Amino acid sequence: MKSFYFLPEMPGVSIAVWIAASMIFLFFAREPVHKMIQTFSDATAGGLRKLAEWTKNTAEAMREKDRKVLLESGVAKIQGEILQEFSKIDMANTKSLAGYPKLQLKLDEHISQLEADYNECGQVTPEAPGWSEVVKSIAKVKGSTSDRIIEGMLGEIHKSAVEGEKKALSELREVSAKRHKILGSMAPIWKRVEKLGKEISSQVEKVMENSRNIEKYMTQYEKISAAEPESVDMLSSKVTKLFIISLIVICVGLVGAFINFNLIALPMSELVPAGVRVAGMAVSEISALVIVALELVLGIFLFEAIGVTHTFPQIANMTRGKRKIILWGCLLGLLFLSSVEASLAILRENLAEAKNALDISLAGGSASVSNEINSRITVIGQAMLGFVLPWILAVIAIPLEMFIEASQHAFAKMYTVFITLLCHLANMIAYLIEGFFNILVHLFDIYIIIPVQIANMISGKQVSAS
Amino acid sequence: MEKIIKHILLALSLTVVVSACTDSKQYETSFCALMDISGTYAGEKANVANIIKAGIVPEMIPGDSLFFVKIDSNSYAEENLVTKLTLDYRPTKANTQKLAIAKTLDKFGRGNARSRLTDISGALMLCSDYLKATKSGTQVMFVFSDMKEELPEGVVRNFAEDEFDGIDIAAMNVIKLTDDSANPEVYRKRIKNWNQRIVDSGAKSWNTLIDATKIQEFIYNVK
Repeated sequence: MKSFYFLPEMPGVSIAVWIAASMIFLFFAREPVHKMIQTFSDATAGGLRKLAEWTKNTAEAMREKDRKVLLESGVAKIQGEILQEFSKIDMANTKSLAGYPKLQLKLDEHISQLEADYNECGQVTPEAPGWSEVVKSIAKVKGSTSDRIIEGMLGEIHKSAVEGEKKALSELREVSAKRHKILGSMAPIWKRVEKLGKEISSQVEKVMENSRNIEKYMTQYEKISAAEPESVDMLSSKVTKLFIISLIVICVGLVGAFINFNLIALPMSELVPAGVRVAGMAVSEISALVIVALELVLGIFLFEAIGVTHTFPQIANMTRGKRKIILWGCLLGLLFLSSVEASLAILRENLAEAKNALDISLAGGSASVSNEINSRITVIGQAMLGFVLPWILAVIAIPLEMFIEASQHAFAKMYTVFITLLCHLANMIAYLIEGFFNILVHLFDIYIIIPVQIANMISGKQVSAS
Repeated sequence: MEKIIKHILLALSLTVVVSACTDSKQYETSFCALMDISGTYAGEKANVANIIKAGIVPEMIPGDSLFFVKIDSNSYAEENLVTKLTLDYRPTKANTQKLAIAKTLDKFGRGNARSRLTDISGALMLCSDYLKATKSGTQVMFVFSDMKEELPEGVVRNFAEDEFDGIDIAAMNVIKLTDDSANPEVYRKRIKNWNQRIVDSGAKSWNTLIDATKIQEFIYNVK
């Protein structure tokens, strides 16, 4: 350090000379120094700003792409729903119209019968009234005359009048009973007519409901087709919800698969005894994994064949007969695998018991300590678990399809968020770097302020530091 | 023709993929237990047999091997190998094998085999040969002895530099002799010498396990 001193005995003066010399030098070099600092700033902060711009554009492009995909999938889904409703109406109409002539015939038949019954009711001759009046008059005349012959005649007339009245009354009752019977037989026909009316009303109500659904879907379709921001938000929210739910279900399913794997891994070593390992896993463990994976695959094909999921268009486009073959194949396959798993679960318990007994025996104890009842319960429980778990695993096919459908949007969203964060981070660092270099410029200007001010005084005009 | 070539290429790629996935690492463990039958330690036979039965045998999994070697006056001989076992990959068969070796150990424990001198080095070299032959991923030796070597005249035991390469060695159940009780420094120096000799011969580790119940923990750590 001392070698830099002009006057080694006066270090203060030497330092002051150095400072003054550097000030003068930097005053004359102020423009290139400023340019240099600016270049540094541009090279670092500018690069970051470019990165921020690129990430922003990428995020925008991704957002736009995702929006389009969302709208397209939304439109496709609503189109599918509308088509479904139309097919329902078509089916209902075909069914109703196919049954309509029969229904009409039935209705006509019942109405004709009702009409006939009604007419029959009307055709019945009403009773002959006035018999009681005649009988009373004759009865009065009967005691007012002294002529025996006349009285005898009147007696006979009275007698026959009374009989006539009785006969008329009996006929009247008979006719009334007949009419009541006819009226009574009309009641079920009325009921049947009423039932038919209700049937027609319910069919019409179904068609009306389908029409209302179509109207609702059409409104949604119009909104989505118009690509309104609310519709995009709504679609995004729906898909995100679907993604989260399917993810949770899949996670639960994976836990089930893990339990299933552990249930059969040990007994599999009894069936596939080999020392070879692949990626650190024994062949028996891989075999157990393959069984679990096969159950999942069978589940996917099963639900594909039923028509619940639509992952493979080839299966969806198959004829009903071929799909039935796949369905039965998958069901039998699952039944076979679940039976295998149940037996493996029993074997597992036996192996565990044997190992326990062996360990006790090696430790010098008595092997017969297992509780038989508990052991049986465990075996039954494990066997049931081994049988049921494959079927539960097979059901994962449904959330799996949902997950695949929703994951595109979810991942695009996550990627966009990540890219946007990167953009903000790059912008922030660029801002800090720019600020740092600006401070550096100001510090430089402060350092050369004395020569600048002297230059101002000499020239008489303002000399800028930069 | 083109189709055949395509098929062959596909088969070759599949073979390459499968063989690339196949793990070349050896996951099996080989154990070698050395039992001193000389002097006062001969009385420990039954106790040692029980320690091996309860501590080592239950820890063995299908594919693992066990060699049981006795330490006598001249231990570097085939007849010093009392029994050996490699467990079958089928758990049920492995259980049967474990039961069989337990019986052999019991029989040895009840026997009255005894030697005048103690050739620990020869037994260690014999064990090393057996363990290396297995090519197992983990190789462990358990020495049941008082660790006091007394070689017969004319017997030379020099370890090669890689004699115990990759082998974990543990001295178990080391009982103290009368001289040791009188001066613990003698015992400590003896153990230290063994440590030096064994580590210099390439052993992965040298341990002295006083508590037999720690054997499982030791196996777990070396695996």
